[in-house]
Amino acid sequence: MNLRPLLASLALAALGSAHAAEKLTVQLDWLPGGDKSFVYAGLKQGYFAAEGLDVTILPGRGSADAITKVGSGAADVGFGGISALMMAAAEGGVPVKAVMSLYSKQPDSLFTTPGSGIKSLKDVAGKTVATSTFSSSNSLWPVVLESNGIDPSKVKLLKVDPSTLAPMLAQGRVDATINWVTVAPAVQSVLKQAGKDLVVVPWTSYGLDGYGWSAMASDKLIKERPDTLKRYLRALNKALQFAIANPDKAAADLKSVVPEADVAVIAAEFRSSIPLLQNEITQREGFGKFEPKLLAATWGWVAKSMDYAPAKVDPEKLVDRSFLGK
Amino acid sequence: MKSLLNRHASLLAFAVVLLCWEAGCRVFQVPVFVLPAPSAIVISAIDLGLPRWLEHLAATLQVALLGYAAAIAIALPLAIGITKSPLLSRTLMPWLVVVQSTPIVAIAPIIVVTLGAGTLPRVVITTLIAFFPLVISTATGLAAAPAELIELSRSLRAPRWREYTQIRLPYAVPYVFAALKVAITLAVIGAVVAEFVAAEKGLGYLILFATSSFKVPVAFAALALLVSCSLLLYALIVWLHRRLFPWSLSAPN
Repeated sequence: MNLRPLLASLALAALGSAHAAEKLTVQLDWLPGGDKSFVYAGLKQGYFAAEGLDVTILPGRGSADAITKVGSGAADVGFGGISALMMAAAEGGVPVKAVMSLYSKQPDSLFTTPGSGIKSLKDVAGKTVATSTFSSSNSLWPVVLESNGIDPSKVKLLKVDPSTLAPMLAQGRVDATINWVTVAPAVQSVLKQAGKDLVVVPWTSYGLDGYGWSAMASDKLIKERPDTLKRYLRALNKALQFAIANPDKAAADLKSVVPEADVAVIAAEFRSSIPLLQNEITQREGFGKFEPKLLAATWGWVAKSMDYAPAKVDPEKLVDRSFLGK
Repeated sequence: MKSLLNRHASLLAFAVVLLCWEAGCRVFQVPVFVLPAPSAIVISAIDLGLPRWLEHLAATLQVALLGYAAAIAIALPLAIGITKSPLLSRTLMPWLVVVQSTPIVAIAPIIVVTLGAGTLPRVVITTLIAFFPLVISTATGLAAAPAELIELSRSLRAPRWREYTQIRLPYAVPYVFAALKVAITLAVIGAVVAEFVAAEKGLGYLILFATSSFKVPVAFAALALLVSCSLLLYALIVWLHRRLFPWSLSAPN
Protein backbone atom coordinates (compact mmCIF):
# COMPACT_ATOMS: atom_id res chain seq x y z
CA MET A 1 0.00 0.00 0.00
CA ASN A 2 1.39 3.30 -0.99
CA LEU A 3 0.65 6.21 1.27
CA ARG A 4 2.72 8.69 -0.66
CA PRO A 5 -0.01 10.27 -2.84
CA LEU A 6 -2.31 10.51 0.18
CA LEU A 7 0.38 12.14 2.29
CA ALA A 8 1.28 14.44 -0.53
CA SER A 9 -2.28 15.58 -0.99
CA LEU A 10 -2.70 16.03 2.75
CA ALA A 11 0.44 18.13 2.85
CA LEU A 12 -0.83 20.22 -0.07
CA ALA A 13 -4.17 20.72 1.62
CA ALA A 14 -2.46 21.84 4.79
CA LEU A 15 -0.29 24.24 2.82
CA GLY A 16 -3.32 25.56 1.03
CA SER A 17 -5.24 26.31 4.17
CA ALA A 18 -2.24 27.92 5.82
CA HIS A 19 -1.62 30.00 2.71
CA ALA A 20 -4.89 31.32 1.39
CA ALA A 21 -3.99 32.99 -1.89
CA GLU A 22 -3.20 36.65 -1.44
CA LYS A 23 -5.34 39.07 -3.41
CA LEU A 24 -3.53 41.36 -5.85
CA THR A 25 -5.14 43.79 -8.31
CA VAL A 26 -3.25 44.41 -11.54
CA GLN A 27 -4.16 47.57 -13.46
CA LEU A 28 -3.52 47.45 -17.21
CA ASP A 29 -2.95 50.77 -18.99
CA TRP A 30 -5.23 49.87 -21.87
CA LEU A 31 -7.72 47.28 -23.08
CA PRO A 32 -6.45 43.71 -23.16
CA GLY A 33 -4.44 43.63 -26.41
CA GLY A 34 -1.69 41.36 -27.63
CA ASP A 35 1.08 43.27 -25.88
CA LYS A 36 -0.58 42.34 -22.55
CA SER A 37 -1.00 38.64 -23.34
CA PHE A 38 1.84 37.59 -20.99
CA VAL A 39 -0.17 38.88 -17.99
CA TYR A 40 -2.98 36.50 -18.93
CA ALA A 41 -0.43 33.73 -19.48
CA GLY A 42 0.71 34.31 -15.89
CA LEU A 43 -2.88 33.84 -14.80
CA LYS A 44 -3.74 30.81 -16.92
CA GLN A 45 -0.40 28.99 -16.73
CA GLY A 46 -0.53 29.26 -12.96
CA TYR A 47 2.60 31.39 -12.41
CA PHE A 48 0.70 33.79 -10.13
CA ALA A 49 -1.06 30.97 -8.29
CA ALA A 50 2.28 29.19 -7.73
CA GLU A 51 3.49 32.30 -5.89
CA GLY A 52 0.32 32.25 -3.77
CA LEU A 53 -1.28 35.21 -5.57
CA ASP A 54 -4.94 35.59 -6.51
CA VAL A 55 -4.65 38.13 -9.32
CA THR A 56 -7.46 40.31 -10.70
CA ILE A 57 -6.71 42.11 -13.99
CA LEU A 58 -8.41 45.45 -14.71
CA PRO A 59 -8.41 47.17 -18.14
CA GLY A 60 -7.51 50.89 -18.18
CA ARG A 61 -7.63 54.04 -20.30
CA GLY A 62 -4.03 55.07 -20.81
CA SER A 63 -0.89 55.29 -18.68
CA ALA A 64 -2.12 58.28 -16.70
CA ASP A 65 -5.32 56.46 -15.80
CA ALA A 66 -3.40 53.34 -14.71
CA ILE A 67 -0.87 55.29 -12.63
CA THR A 68 -3.65 57.29 -10.96
CA LYS A 69 -5.51 54.10 -10.04
CA VAL A 70 -2.38 52.49 -8.59
CA GLY A 71 -1.55 55.70 -6.73
CA SER A 72 -5.04 56.07 -5.28
CA GLY A 73 -5.13 52.45 -4.09
CA ALA A 74 -7.78 51.26 -6.56
CA ALA A 75 -5.13 48.77 -7.74
CA ASP A 76 -1.94 47.38 -6.14
CA VAL A 77 0.28 47.12 -9.19
CA GLY A 78 -0.03 48.22 -12.78
CA PHE A 79 1.60 48.99 -16.09
CA GLY A 80 2.31 52.27 -17.80
CA GLY A 81 4.83 54.33 -19.69
CA ILE A 82 7.56 55.53 -17.36
CA SER A 83 7.40 58.94 -19.06
CA ALA A 84 3.85 59.29 -17.72
CA LEU A 85 5.16 58.55 -14.23
CA MET A 86 7.80 61.25 -14.72
CA MET A 87 5.07 63.68 -15.78
CA ALA A 88 3.06 62.80 -12.70
CA ALA A 89 6.15 63.49 -10.56
CA ALA A 90 6.65 66.85 -12.26
CA GLU A 91 3.01 67.75 -11.59
CA GLY A 92 3.23 67.09 -7.86
CA GLY A 93 3.86 63.38 -7.67
CA VAL A 94 1.93 60.17 -7.15
CA PRO A 95 2.87 57.47 -4.61
CA VAL A 96 3.92 55.02 -7.33
CA LYS A 97 7.30 53.58 -8.34
CA ALA A 98 8.44 51.77 -11.44
CA VAL A 99 9.77 48.42 -10.24
CA MET A 100 10.66 46.64 -13.48
CA SER A 101 11.36 47.82 -16.99
CA LEU A 102 9.48 46.03 -19.76
CA TYR A 103 10.31 48.04 -22.90
CA SER A 104 13.88 49.27 -23.05
CA LYS A 105 13.06 50.92 -26.36
CA GLN A 106 10.29 53.39 -27.01
CA PRO A 107 7.34 51.86 -28.90
CA ASP A 108 6.19 55.12 -30.51
CA SER A 109 6.00 55.05 -34.27
CA LEU A 110 4.35 56.54 -37.30
CA PHE A 111 1.95 54.31 -39.26
CA THR A 112 1.37 55.14 -42.88
CA THR A 113 0.59 53.56 -46.27
CA PRO A 114 2.75 53.26 -49.42
CA GLY A 115 0.51 55.75 -51.26
CA SER A 116 0.93 58.55 -48.72
CA GLY A 117 4.38 59.57 -49.93
CA ILE A 118 5.80 59.24 -46.41
CA LYS A 119 8.92 57.09 -46.47
CA SER A 120 10.88 58.73 -43.68
CA LEU A 121 10.08 61.16 -40.89
CA LYS A 122 11.20 64.09 -43.07
CA ASP A 123 8.24 63.50 -45.40
CA VAL A 124 5.53 64.39 -42.84
CA ALA A 125 5.83 68.13 -43.48
CA GLY A 126 2.56 69.33 -45.02
CA LYS A 127 0.79 66.04 -44.24
CA THR A 128 -2.15 65.26 -41.94
CA VAL A 129 -1.38 62.98 -39.00
CA ALA A 130 -3.92 61.59 -36.51
CA THR A 131 -3.12 60.58 -32.95
CA SER A 132 -5.03 59.39 -29.87
CA THR A 133 -6.30 62.24 -27.71
CA PHE A 134 -4.41 61.09 -24.63
CA SER A 135 -1.46 59.17 -26.01
CA SER A 136 1.87 59.55 -24.25
CA SER A 137 3.38 59.95 -27.73
CA ASN A 138 1.76 63.36 -28.23
CA SER A 139 4.16 65.35 -26.08
CA LEU A 140 7.15 63.58 -27.59
CA TRP A 141 6.05 64.18 -31.18
CA PRO A 142 7.12 67.84 -31.58
CA VAL A 143 10.43 67.17 -29.82
CA VAL A 144 11.22 64.24 -32.10
CA LEU A 145 10.36 66.38 -35.14
CA GLU A 146 12.47 69.32 -33.98
CA SER A 147 15.46 67.13 -33.19
CA ASN A 148 15.26 65.94 -36.80
CA GLY A 149 15.05 69.49 -38.14
CA ILE A 150 11.34 69.38 -38.98
CA ASP A 151 8.99 72.24 -38.04
CA PRO A 152 6.10 70.69 -36.05
CA SER A 153 3.73 73.48 -37.15
CA LYS A 154 4.09 72.21 -40.73
CA VAL A 155 2.23 69.02 -39.79
CA LYS A 156 -1.55 69.07 -39.35
CA LEU A 157 -2.19 67.02 -36.20
CA LEU A 158 -5.69 65.66 -35.43
CA LYS A 159 -6.50 64.28 -32.02
CA VAL A 160 -9.16 61.57 -32.14
CA ASP A 161 -10.47 58.57 -30.25
CA PRO A 162 -7.96 55.71 -30.59
CA SER A 163 -10.59 53.42 -32.11
CA THR A 164 -10.89 55.71 -35.14
CA LEU A 165 -7.16 55.80 -36.06
CA ALA A 166 -6.95 52.64 -38.19
CA PRO A 167 -10.23 53.23 -40.09
CA MET A 168 -9.20 56.81 -40.90
CA LEU A 169 -5.85 55.64 -42.24
CA ALA A 170 -7.57 52.90 -44.25
CA GLN A 171 -9.99 55.41 -45.76
CA GLY A 172 -7.21 57.83 -46.65
CA ARG A 173 -8.73 60.54 -44.42
CA VAL A 174 -5.27 61.01 -42.88
CA ASP A 175 -1.79 60.41 -44.30
CA ALA A 176 -0.42 58.80 -41.17
CA THR A 177 -1.25 57.94 -37.57
CA ILE A 178 0.83 57.85 -34.41
CA ASN A 179 0.70 54.41 -32.80
CA TRP A 180 2.72 52.06 -30.67
CA VAL A 181 4.48 49.57 -32.89
CA THR A 182 2.77 46.78 -30.90
CA VAL A 183 -0.62 47.44 -32.51
CA ALA A 184 0.77 47.08 -36.06
CA PRO A 185 -0.89 43.67 -36.71
CA ALA A 186 -4.34 44.96 -35.73
CA VAL A 187 -3.95 48.06 -37.91
CA GLN A 188 -2.62 45.90 -40.73
CA SER A 189 -5.76 43.76 -40.65
CA VAL A 190 -7.92 46.92 -40.97
CA LEU A 191 -5.80 48.27 -43.84
CA LYS A 192 -5.98 44.92 -45.64
CA GLN A 193 -9.76 45.29 -45.88
CA ALA A 194 -9.16 48.52 -47.79
CA GLY A 195 -6.53 46.85 -49.97
CA LYS A 196 -3.65 48.81 -48.47
CA ASP A 197 -0.35 47.88 -46.86
CA LEU A 198 1.07 49.20 -43.61
CA VAL A 199 4.36 51.08 -43.44
CA VAL A 200 5.81 51.49 -39.95
CA VAL A 201 8.26 54.33 -39.25
CA PRO A 202 9.60 53.73 -35.70
CA TRP A 203 10.78 56.85 -33.85
CA THR A 204 13.73 54.87 -32.43
CA SER A 205 15.25 55.17 -35.91
CA TYR A 206 15.16 58.96 -35.44
CA GLY A 207 17.05 59.28 -32.20
CA LEU A 208 14.32 58.56 -29.65
CA ASP A 209 15.86 56.50 -26.87
CA GLY A 210 14.84 55.66 -23.33
CA TYR A 211 12.67 53.38 -21.28
CA GLY A 212 9.01 52.99 -22.11
CA TRP A 213 6.46 50.60 -20.75
CA SER A 214 7.17 49.48 -17.18
CA ALA A 215 5.70 47.49 -14.33
CA MET A 216 4.73 49.74 -11.45
CA ALA A 217 3.63 49.34 -7.85
CA SER A 218 2.13 51.64 -5.24
CA ASP A 219 4.36 52.96 -2.46
CA LYS A 220 1.88 51.39 -0.06
CA LEU A 221 2.48 47.89 -1.46
CA ILE A 222 6.25 48.44 -1.51
CA LYS A 223 6.17 49.44 2.15
CA GLU A 224 3.57 47.05 3.53
CA ARG A 225 3.89 43.92 1.38
CA PRO A 226 7.38 43.88 -0.19
CA ASP A 227 7.45 40.10 -0.25
CA THR A 228 4.17 40.01 -2.20
CA LEU A 229 5.61 42.38 -4.78
CA LYS A 230 8.75 40.27 -5.10
CA ARG A 231 6.67 37.15 -5.74
CA TYR A 232 4.47 38.99 -8.24
CA LEU A 233 7.47 40.20 -10.24
CA ARG A 234 9.00 36.72 -10.16
CA ALA A 235 5.76 35.29 -11.56
CA LEU A 236 5.53 38.10 -14.10
CA ASN A 237 9.06 37.38 -15.29
CA LYS A 238 8.25 33.70 -15.76
CA ALA A 239 5.06 34.61 -17.60
CA LEU A 240 7.03 36.90 -19.90
CA GLN A 241 9.60 34.23 -20.72
CA PHE A 242 6.76 31.78 -21.39
CA ALA A 243 4.96 34.24 -23.69
CA ILE A 244 8.17 35.05 -25.60
CA ALA A 245 8.73 31.32 -26.15
CA ASN A 246 5.06 30.56 -26.90
CA PRO A 247 3.27 33.66 -28.25
CA ASP A 248 0.40 31.54 -29.57
CA LYS A 249 -0.24 29.85 -26.22
CA ALA A 250 -0.15 33.21 -24.45
CA ALA A 251 -2.65 34.54 -27.01
CA ALA A 252 -4.94 31.57 -26.30
CA ASP A 253 -4.65 32.33 -22.57
CA LEU A 254 -5.77 35.91 -23.20
CA LYS A 255 -8.65 34.71 -25.35
CA SER A 256 -9.83 32.33 -22.61
CA VAL A 257 -10.38 35.41 -20.42
CA VAL A 258 -11.33 37.87 -23.19
CA PRO A 259 -13.45 35.85 -25.64
CA GLU A 260 -13.81 38.81 -28.04
CA ALA A 261 -10.10 38.69 -28.87
CA ASP A 262 -8.66 37.28 -32.11
CA VAL A 263 -5.85 34.83 -31.35
CA ALA A 264 -3.94 35.39 -34.61
CA VAL A 265 -3.86 39.18 -34.13
CA ILE A 266 -2.95 38.93 -30.43
CA ALA A 267 -0.08 36.56 -31.14
CA ALA A 268 1.18 38.86 -33.91
CA GLU A 269 0.89 41.89 -31.62
CA PHE A 270 2.90 40.22 -28.90
CA ARG A 271 5.52 39.09 -31.43
CA SER A 272 5.92 42.69 -32.57
CA SER A 273 6.59 43.73 -28.96
CA ILE A 274 9.38 41.18 -28.42
CA PRO A 275 12.09 43.46 -29.93
CA LEU A 276 11.09 46.08 -27.36
CA LEU A 277 11.30 43.53 -24.53
CA GLN A 278 14.52 41.86 -25.64
CA ASN A 279 17.24 43.76 -27.48
CA GLU A 280 20.86 44.83 -27.27
CA ILE A 281 20.06 46.98 -24.23
CA THR A 282 18.60 44.15 -22.17
CA GLN A 283 21.46 41.90 -23.26
CA ARG A 284 23.91 44.47 -21.94
CA GLU A 285 22.12 45.50 -18.74
CA GLY A 286 19.94 42.51 -17.95
CA PHE A 287 16.16 42.28 -18.33
CA GLY A 288 13.98 44.58 -16.25
CA LYS A 289 16.83 46.83 -15.09
CA PHE A 290 16.76 50.62 -15.21
CA GLU A 291 20.22 51.71 -16.31
CA PRO A 292 20.78 55.22 -14.78
CA LYS A 293 22.07 56.88 -17.98
CA LEU A 294 19.22 55.67 -20.14
CA LEU A 295 16.75 56.55 -17.39
CA ALA A 296 18.14 60.08 -17.30
CA ALA A 297 17.83 60.25 -21.11
CA THR A 298 14.17 59.20 -20.80
CA TRP A 299 13.53 62.06 -18.38
CA GLY A 300 15.41 64.39 -20.73
CA TRP A 301 12.85 63.68 -23.49
CA VAL A 302 9.93 64.22 -21.11
CA ALA A 303 11.38 67.47 -19.73
CA LYS A 304 11.97 68.80 -23.24
CA SER A 305 8.55 67.82 -24.49
CA MET A 306 6.62 69.23 -21.52
CA ASP A 307 8.85 72.28 -20.89
CA TYR A 308 9.86 71.12 -17.41
CA ALA A 309 13.09 72.35 -15.85
CA PRO A 310 15.59 69.46 -16.09
CA ALA A 311 16.12 69.61 -12.32
CA LYS A 312 12.42 69.36 -11.54
CA VAL A 313 12.42 65.57 -11.23
CA ASP A 314 15.13 63.16 -10.17
CA PRO A 315 14.26 60.07 -12.25
CA GLU A 316 16.23 57.90 -9.80
CA LYS A 317 13.57 58.66 -7.17
CA LEU A 318 10.85 57.15 -9.36
CA VAL A 319 12.30 53.67 -9.66
CA ASP A 320 12.81 50.96 -7.06
CA ARG A 321 15.33 48.37 -8.19
CA SER A 322 15.26 46.27 -5.02
CA PHE A 323 12.59 43.85 -6.20
CA LEU A 324 14.41 42.44 -9.19
CA GLY A 325 16.27 39.77 -7.22
CA LYS A 326 15.76 36.39 -8.77
CA MET B 1 -31.07 89.31 8.62
CA LYS B 2 -33.56 86.57 7.99
CA SER B 3 -34.59 88.04 4.68
CA LEU B 4 -30.92 88.30 3.69
CA LEU B 5 -30.46 84.64 4.53
CA ASN B 6 -33.51 83.76 2.49
CA ARG B 7 -32.41 85.78 -0.47
CA HIS B 8 -28.88 84.41 -0.62
CA ALA B 9 -29.55 80.89 0.66
CA SER B 10 -28.23 79.18 -2.47
CA LEU B 11 -25.08 81.31 -2.61
CA LEU B 12 -24.40 80.70 1.06
CA ALA B 13 -24.89 76.96 0.69
CA PHE B 14 -22.46 77.01 -2.24
CA ALA B 15 -19.86 78.91 -0.22
CA VAL B 16 -20.25 76.52 2.73
CA VAL B 17 -19.74 73.51 0.44
CA LEU B 18 -16.58 75.08 -1.02
CA LEU B 19 -15.23 75.85 2.46
CA CYS B 20 -15.91 72.30 3.68
CA TRP B 21 -14.23 70.93 0.54
CA GLU B 22 -11.16 73.11 1.06
CA ALA B 23 -10.98 72.24 4.76
CA GLY B 24 -11.50 68.55 4.08
CA CYS B 25 -8.67 68.47 1.52
CA ARG B 26 -6.31 70.19 3.96
CA VAL B 27 -7.25 68.24 7.09
CA PHE B 28 -7.23 64.78 5.48
CA GLN B 29 -4.37 65.68 3.13
CA VAL B 30 -6.24 64.35 0.09
CA PRO B 31 -3.73 63.88 -2.74
CA VAL B 32 -4.10 66.34 -5.61
CA PHE B 33 -4.51 63.59 -8.22
CA VAL B 34 -7.60 62.28 -6.41
CA LEU B 35 -9.39 65.52 -5.48
CA PRO B 36 -7.71 68.93 -5.67
CA ALA B 37 -8.77 71.64 -3.20
CA PRO B 38 -10.77 74.61 -4.61
CA SER B 39 -7.77 76.89 -4.01
CA ALA B 40 -5.54 74.61 -6.11
CA ILE B 41 -8.16 74.61 -8.86
CA VAL B 42 -8.32 78.41 -8.92
CA ILE B 43 -4.51 78.70 -8.97
CA SER B 44 -4.23 76.22 -11.86
CA ALA B 45 -6.92 78.11 -13.76
CA ILE B 46 -5.02 81.38 -13.38
CA ASP B 47 -1.79 79.66 -14.44
CA LEU B 48 -3.31 78.50 -17.70
CA GLY B 49 -4.10 82.10 -18.62
CA LEU B 50 -7.20 83.77 -20.00
CA PRO B 51 -6.38 83.48 -23.75
CA ARG B 52 -6.11 79.69 -23.53
CA TRP B 53 -9.37 79.45 -21.57
CA LEU B 54 -11.16 81.63 -24.09
CA GLU B 55 -9.83 79.52 -26.95
CA HIS B 56 -11.15 76.31 -25.40
CA LEU B 57 -14.42 77.91 -24.34
CA ALA B 58 -14.99 79.35 -27.81
CA ALA B 59 -14.38 75.96 -29.43
CA THR B 60 -16.90 74.21 -27.17
CA LEU B 61 -19.48 77.00 -27.43
CA GLN B 62 -19.19 77.04 -31.21
CA VAL B 63 -19.96 73.31 -31.46
CA ALA B 64 -22.69 73.46 -28.80
CA LEU B 65 -24.49 76.42 -30.37
CA LEU B 66 -24.16 75.17 -33.96
CA GLY B 67 -25.51 71.80 -32.88
CA TYR B 68 -28.29 73.51 -30.95
CA ALA B 69 -29.24 75.66 -33.94
CA ALA B 70 -29.23 72.63 -36.22
CA ALA B 71 -31.38 70.72 -33.71
CA ILE B 72 -33.94 73.55 -33.66
CA ALA B 73 -33.88 73.88 -37.45
CA ILE B 74 -34.60 70.17 -37.82
CA ALA B 75 -36.93 69.67 -34.87
CA LEU B 76 -39.48 72.46 -35.38
CA PRO B 77 -40.46 71.67 -39.01
CA LEU B 78 -40.42 67.99 -38.13
CA ALA B 79 -42.80 68.58 -35.21
CA ILE B 80 -45.15 70.60 -37.43
CA GLY B 81 -45.05 67.81 -40.01
CA ILE B 82 -45.83 65.18 -37.42
CA THR B 83 -48.84 67.06 -36.03
CA LYS B 84 -50.11 67.86 -39.52
CA SER B 85 -49.92 64.40 -41.02
CA PRO B 86 -50.78 61.19 -39.21
CA LEU B 87 -49.00 59.26 -41.98
CA LEU B 88 -45.78 61.20 -41.46
CA SER B 89 -46.13 60.71 -37.72
CA ARG B 90 -46.51 56.93 -38.13
CA THR B 91 -43.52 56.82 -40.49
CA LEU B 92 -41.12 59.04 -38.58
CA MET B 93 -41.90 58.45 -34.91
CA PRO B 94 -40.37 54.96 -34.72
CA TRP B 95 -37.20 56.33 -36.33
CA LEU B 96 -37.02 59.23 -33.90
CA VAL B 97 -37.33 56.80 -31.01
CA VAL B 98 -34.60 54.60 -32.52
CA VAL B 99 -32.25 57.59 -32.83
CA GLN B 100 -33.04 58.67 -29.29
CA SER B 101 -32.51 55.14 -27.95
CA THR B 102 -29.10 54.84 -29.61
CA PRO B 103 -26.33 55.68 -27.16
CA ILE B 104 -24.64 58.45 -29.16
CA VAL B 105 -21.45 58.03 -27.11
CA ALA B 106 -21.13 54.53 -28.52
CA ILE B 107 -21.59 55.52 -32.17
CA ALA B 108 -19.56 58.73 -31.93
CA PRO B 109 -16.34 57.01 -33.11
CA ILE B 110 -18.25 55.67 -36.14
CA ILE B 111 -19.53 59.18 -36.95
CA VAL B 112 -15.96 60.50 -36.78
CA VAL B 113 -14.70 57.78 -39.11
CA THR B 114 -17.41 58.50 -41.68
CA LEU B 115 -17.33 62.31 -41.50
CA GLY B 116 -13.65 62.92 -40.77
CA ALA B 117 -12.29 64.81 -37.79
CA GLY B 118 -13.42 68.37 -38.41
CA THR B 119 -16.16 70.46 -36.81
CA LEU B 120 -18.90 68.69 -38.77
CA PRO B 121 -18.92 65.36 -36.87
CA ARG B 122 -18.89 67.26 -33.57
CA VAL B 123 -21.92 69.31 -34.62
CA VAL B 124 -23.71 66.17 -35.84
CA ILE B 125 -23.11 64.40 -32.52
CA THR B 126 -24.37 67.47 -30.62
CA THR B 127 -27.48 67.73 -32.80
CA LEU B 128 -28.29 64.04 -32.35
CA ILE B 129 -28.06 64.39 -28.58
CA ALA B 130 -30.08 67.63 -28.36
CA PHE B 131 -32.91 67.36 -30.88
CA PHE B 132 -35.27 64.67 -29.56
CA PRO B 133 -36.86 66.59 -26.65
CA LEU B 134 -37.42 69.51 -29.04
CA VAL B 135 -39.42 67.40 -31.50
CA ILE B 136 -41.53 65.62 -28.89
CA SER B 137 -42.26 68.68 -26.79
CA THR B 138 -43.09 70.91 -29.79
CA ALA B 139 -45.37 68.24 -31.29
CA THR B 140 -47.12 67.88 -27.93
CA GLY B 141 -47.52 71.66 -27.72
CA LEU B 142 -48.92 71.93 -31.26
CA ALA B 143 -51.45 69.22 -30.46
CA ALA B 144 -52.38 70.95 -27.22
CA ALA B 145 -54.31 73.77 -28.92
CA PRO B 146 -57.99 73.58 -27.83
CA ALA B 147 -60.06 71.67 -30.37
CA GLU B 148 -62.89 74.26 -30.31
CA LEU B 149 -60.51 77.02 -31.43
CA ILE B 150 -59.31 74.87 -34.30
CA GLU B 151 -62.94 74.12 -35.18
CA LEU B 152 -63.73 77.84 -35.09
CA SER B 153 -60.86 78.78 -37.37
CA ARG B 154 -61.87 76.10 -39.86
CA SER B 155 -65.51 77.24 -39.83
CA LEU B 156 -64.23 80.72 -40.66
CA ARG B 157 -62.27 79.25 -43.57
CA ALA B 158 -58.94 80.28 -42.14
CA PRO B 159 -56.04 78.99 -44.25
CA ARG B 160 -53.95 76.22 -42.72
CA TRP B 161 -50.88 78.39 -42.20
CA ARG B 162 -52.88 80.87 -40.13
CA GLU B 163 -54.25 78.06 -38.04
CA TYR B 164 -50.62 77.33 -37.18
CA THR B 165 -49.31 80.88 -36.76
CA GLN B 166 -52.28 82.20 -34.79
CA ILE B 167 -53.53 79.27 -32.75
CA ARG B 168 -51.28 76.23 -32.62
CA LEU B 169 -47.86 77.90 -32.38
CA PRO B 170 -48.85 80.36 -29.62
CA TYR B 171 -50.28 77.45 -27.63
CA ALA B 172 -47.07 75.53 -28.17
CA VAL B 173 -44.75 78.34 -26.96
CA PRO B 174 -44.46 77.16 -23.32
CA TYR B 175 -43.82 73.60 -24.51
CA VAL B 176 -41.19 74.75 -27.00
CA PHE B 177 -39.36 76.77 -24.37
CA ALA B 178 -39.47 73.94 -21.88
CA ALA B 179 -37.76 71.82 -24.54
CA LEU B 180 -35.33 74.61 -25.50
CA LYS B 181 -34.16 74.73 -21.87
CA VAL B 182 -33.54 70.99 -21.75
CA ALA B 183 -31.92 70.98 -25.19
CA ILE B 184 -29.37 73.72 -24.44
CA THR B 185 -27.94 71.73 -21.52
CA LEU B 186 -27.95 68.63 -23.74
CA ALA B 187 -26.11 70.57 -26.45
CA VAL B 188 -23.29 71.37 -24.03
CA ILE B 189 -23.13 67.70 -23.03
CA GLY B 190 -23.15 66.73 -26.70
CA ALA B 191 -20.27 69.08 -27.51
CA VAL B 192 -18.21 67.56 -24.70
CA VAL B 193 -18.98 63.99 -25.80
CA ALA B 194 -17.90 64.93 -29.32
CA GLU B 195 -14.66 66.46 -28.02
CA PHE B 196 -13.92 63.28 -26.09
CA VAL B 197 -13.97 61.43 -29.40
CA ALA B 198 -12.26 63.88 -31.74
CA ALA B 199 -10.89 67.32 -30.95
CA GLU B 200 -7.73 69.31 -30.52
CA LYS B 201 -9.28 72.10 -28.49
CA GLY B 202 -12.35 72.69 -26.35
CA LEU B 203 -13.20 72.19 -22.70
CA GLY B 204 -14.01 68.50 -23.10
CA TYR B 205 -10.67 67.95 -24.79
CA LEU B 206 -8.95 69.97 -22.06
CA ILE B 207 -10.46 67.72 -19.36
CA LEU B 208 -9.12 64.61 -21.10
CA PHE B 209 -5.75 66.16 -21.80
CA ALA B 210 -5.35 67.50 -18.27
CA THR B 211 -6.18 64.19 -16.61
CA SER B 212 -3.82 62.35 -18.96
CA SER B 213 -0.92 64.63 -18.02
CA PHE B 214 -1.80 64.70 -14.29
CA LYS B 215 -2.96 68.31 -14.26
CA VAL B 216 -6.10 67.31 -12.35
CA PRO B 217 -6.81 70.82 -10.98
CA VAL B 218 -7.02 72.11 -14.57
CA ALA B 219 -9.56 69.39 -15.37
CA PHE B 220 -11.69 70.48 -12.41
CA ALA B 221 -11.44 74.12 -13.48
CA ALA B 222 -12.59 73.16 -17.00
CA LEU B 223 -15.47 71.20 -15.49
CA ALA B 224 -16.51 74.21 -13.38
CA LEU B 225 -16.40 76.42 -16.47
CA LEU B 226 -18.54 73.91 -18.40
CA VAL B 227 -21.16 73.83 -15.65
CA SER B 228 -21.24 77.66 -15.46
CA CYS B 229 -21.57 77.78 -19.23
CA SER B 230 -24.55 75.42 -19.12
CA LEU B 231 -26.21 77.43 -16.34
CA LEU B 232 -25.71 80.74 -18.17
CA LEU B 233 -27.13 79.41 -21.42
CA TYR B 234 -30.10 78.01 -19.54
CA ALA B 235 -30.67 81.40 -17.89
CA LEU B 236 -30.40 83.05 -21.30
CA ILE B 237 -33.22 80.88 -22.68
CA VAL B 238 -35.38 81.66 -19.63
CA TRP B 239 -34.70 85.38 -20.15
CA LEU B 240 -35.58 85.16 -23.85
CA HIS B 241 -38.82 83.43 -22.98
CA ARG B 242 -39.70 86.24 -20.55
CA ARG B 243 -38.75 88.95 -23.01
CA LEU B 244 -40.45 87.56 -26.09
CA PHE B 245 -43.51 85.73 -24.78
CA PRO B 246 -44.35 87.10 -21.33
CA TRP B 247 -47.99 86.04 -21.79
CA SER B 248 -47.05 82.38 -21.96
CA LEU B 249 -45.12 82.12 -18.72
CA SER B 250 -47.65 79.96 -16.91
CA ALA B 251 -45.88 76.68 -17.47
CA PRO B 252 -47.76 73.87 -19.24
CA ASN B 253 -48.92 71.01 -17.07
